[in-house]
Parts: sequence; structure tokens; C-alpha cells
Amino acid sequence: MLLRIKNLWVKAGSKEILKGVNLNIKPKEKVVLLGPNGSGKTVLAQVIAGNKKYKINQGKISFSHKDISNLSPEKRTTLGIVLAWQAPPKISGVKFQDFLSKINKSKMINDIENFDLKISSILENELNTNISGGEKKISELLQVIALKPKLVIFDEIDSGLDIKNLKRVCQLIEKELLEKGVAALFITHNGHILNYFKPDKTLVMLDGKIICQSKDYKKILSTITKYGYEKCKKCPLLSNR
Amino acid sequence: MVMKNVKNAHYYQIDNKVKNITAGKGVEILESKVAYKKYPWVRKYLKEKPSKGYFIWVKKQVDFPLMTCISLASYKSIQKLSNLLVVEEGLDIKANAFCNALKNDLCGVHQANGIVILKKGAKLEYLHLHSWGEKDLVEPNYEFYLEKDSQLNYYYKNFDPPKELNFKNYFEAQENSQVNLKVYLLGRKTRVKLEEILDLKGKNSKGLITLKLVADKKSNLEAISKITAFNQNTGHLECQGLLIDDGSSISLVPNLVCKNKKAQLTHEASIGKISEEELTYLRTRGLTEKQAINLIINGFLEK
Repeated sequence: MLLRIKNLWVKAGSKEILKGVNLNIKPKEKVVLLGPNGSGKTVLAQVIAGNKKYKINQGKISFSHKDISNLSPEKRTTLGIVLAWQAPPKISGVKFQDFLSKINKSKMINDIENFDLKISSILENELNTNISGGEKKISELLQVIALKPKLVIFDEIDSGLDIKNLKRVCQLIEKELLEKGVAALFITHNGHILNYFKPDKTLVMLDGKIICQSKDYKKILSTITKYGYEKCKKCPLLSNR
Repeated sequence: MVMKNVKNAHYYQIDNKVKNITAGKGVEILESKVAYKKYPWVRKYLKEKPSKGYFIWVKKQVDFPLMTCISLASYKSIQKLSNLLVVEEGLDIKANAFCNALKNDLCGVHQANGIVILKKGAKLEYLHLHSWGEKDLVEPNYEFYLEKDSQLNYYYKNFDPPKELNFKNYFEAQENSQVNLKVYLLGRKTRVKLEEILDLKGKNSKGLITLKLVADKKSNLEAISKITAFNQNTGHLECQGLLIDDGSSISLVPNLVCKNKKAQLTHEASIGKISEEELTYLRTRGLTEKQAINLIINGFLEK
């Protein structure tokens, strides 16, 4: 197992956000995590990446059989866990191109112009500054590729991108990450990413718990489309967990 | 930050010894005491007879940046300088001024009174770099006089401050002239007092003062910035402070004085700390906490 999360309970301040999450991801596996806004998906992503804003009260996160629950974010990145942020913060005065060179471990990034993405404004601007929401997603993806991960967590990579760019981004993910054996956890509330990737496993998170899991993403998607997230607890798949 | 080729400086002084004066064509460079004797008009600007310092008179357009370098090299060395820079009408000049200590523990004193004159339509881009030892006392006091239609872009950068820095700048802007001052200072184990006074005297003169100050390692930074509009002027004052540790403090005092109803003066001032979210973000990119803090500081100071 590449990533193993066992009975994870997490608080932000005094509020319990994650309430006993269990999640396993194998090497090369593609996993999709669906859930409505506020269900705890982003907190889960941040906790896996090592954000100390969130306190683990119970449970354990292991990566390649090593307990990483108390590791710093940079050590997790060095081990191979890389998060593509949903809303990356602005870093004033730091030019994206310089930053990318600083963190780059991948030869691919040296041929960045071949990616067929409109990235000139990203390259010229400061990190996450004066660029659109879609460009931020592309910026995140380029950084992810530069860091040569073993596991990528894409937090809402499919929101804010137009169809054309989403397609290109997904092609890039396929070619530069998935085909090279990188495992991926796609976090999404709208499920658009499922038009491009056929996951090995699809999960649904509600109120800090993973309430549903299936290998058949179509069944889950159709259930959500039909009943909405609020009615997921009544989903027939739930009894098959 | 040390100047790489001090031998190329047009004026180069170590402690109180002038090592080199090289004036290019169109520029006259002298010790200020020599100029004081040679040109009676110099006395209009240098009120007292100077003992040390430079006189630079740019008479014709030059295509190279003027460079001065003044260093402290000996233990307890004391420099008291009177400098005068005059740029003649319509010239477009760049000047780089380096003042530094060659060692970290000299306990030196660097005091400089400087006058900069921009004649009608002159333009000066002036980069002033300071790099000091931890035990030095530094007290520069500069006055800039901008005649009609002239323009000054003045960048002061100090990323290695002395134990104590008292830095005063006065700017007087006549009709249609423009002052753009940017001060970048990284305070570590230091006590700094900055005073920036800008008098917009002539009609349509404009001024922009930007301060970016970082206080780290028990530093105490105080900045008083004042813009006065005497005429139909526009001016903006932007002061930003970044506080790194709890033992440090930053005090920003923006002051706008409007003496003409058609003038427009504005200011923004803020003091903040490094955002935890930014730190975490950079750490998820593989940077250590220290590397991430340095990157944020360097970005803030546009290093």
C-alpha cells in the first residue's frame, strides 16, 4: 500500500472536521473523492500534505509503510506526496519561473514550452498573482510535475478551467504522471474529472466521513446526479460497502 | 551586498583615505573640500567647509552609470562626509552609490550629509546600497532639490543594517518635477530611524514614497514619512512592514499635509506577519521553514 489512512480524526480549532476517515491508495492507483462543499475533502488533502493548522486527534497516516502523521510538509514532499492546492496563496515578489526552477527535479519542466498550454502569463507573473483561476490550476500542475511525485492529490483541479484547458490539463496529467506510474487522488465536487479519467476507486465524503466506496464510478455518479449529495446516505450503494 | 569592482568606482574611499577618483568625459569629480575652494557656488549648497566626501558635477550626458564606493575598513573608524551631486539641465543620469563596512565587527561610524541637485529637466536614477557590520553606527542625511521638470527615481536598499541607523531624506520638488522614492530595509539586530520628508512645492509636482521594512531578530524600526502639498500636487505614501519575530517592532507614521484644495494626497500603511498559509504552501513545495521564510522576505523586499 502506498498511502494508508486509518481512523483519522481531525480538528480545526475546536471543530471536528474529519471523523474517522479510512483511505487506502495503492501504487499507480487512481482514486476519486467526491463530496459537497464543506464535507472535509480539502481538510483531508491538507492533512495528508502536512498542514499543521489541523490537529490529528486520533488515527494514523502511513506512506510506503512509514508513519508520517508527525512529519513536516517538506519531508512529506520529499517522500513523494505532492498536493495541488485548490486555492494557492499569492506569494508576492517571487517570480513563478524562478520558483519553478528552484523546486524543479524533472527534466520535463525544461521543455515547458512543449506542453501546449498558454502559460506565458503564468511564467512572467509572481507566484499565484494576477493570473486567472484556470491559470492557477495549470501553475499547480506544473509545480506538481516539477516535484516528481509518487502520489499527487489534486484538490479540485477541474474547477475554474474551461473545457479546452481541462482537456489539455488532463492529457498532461495522463502523460506526465499517470503513465509514469504516479498514483493520484482526485478531489472533486462536480465530478468533471470523471469525463477524462476512469478511476480504480471512487469514494464519497459527507460530513467528515467517507460514506461510500465503489469501483464503479458510473453508479456513484448517477446516484449523486439523481439524489444529490444530501441524499447520499440513502444511496443503495451504501449498503454494499 | 558588496560592490564587485570597487576599482571601477569613479570615487572610492576607504575610511578617510581617497583611493581613487576617475572622472569620465562630461563629469567632474573632486573631493568636496577641493570643490569648496575651487567653485564659490558650491558654498551655496555646502554650508560648512567640508573635510571629506565627494563633489560630482555632471555637465554633459554620459552613457555609463556613475559609481561611488565608501567603505569602513578599520576598527572604530569615523567617517564624516559632505557630498554634493549636481546634474545639469536635461541630462539623464544613472548613479550607483555603495556604502559599506568591510568587516562585521568594526564598531565604525559613517555620517554623511549629502546634497543632490537636479537642474531643470534632469533625470536621475539613483541606487543607494548599504551593507554594514553589526556594531556600526550609520547616519546619512540627504537633501534632494528638484528643479522644474526634473525627475528622481531613488532606490535605497539595506539588507545588512548596522547596529544603529538614523537616516533622513528631504526632497523639494518644483514645478512638474517627480520624486519616486523606494526604501527596502531588512532589519536584523538593529535599531533604525527613518525620516522621509517630501515637499511638493511647484505646481503639478508629484511624489511617491514606498517603504518596505522587515523587522527580524529583535530589531526596532521606526519610520516617519511626510508629504506636504503646497500646490496642485499629487502624492502617495505607501508603508509596509513585515514583522518576523516577537522581539522586534515596527512603527510607521505616515503624515500628509495638504495646503492646496486641488492637491490629492493619499497613503496606505500596513504591518503584518508572515502568513501561515504561505509558509505551508511553500513547505509543500519542498522548502524548509527557514527557506520558505527567506523566500517570502526576499519577495517582499523585491530582492
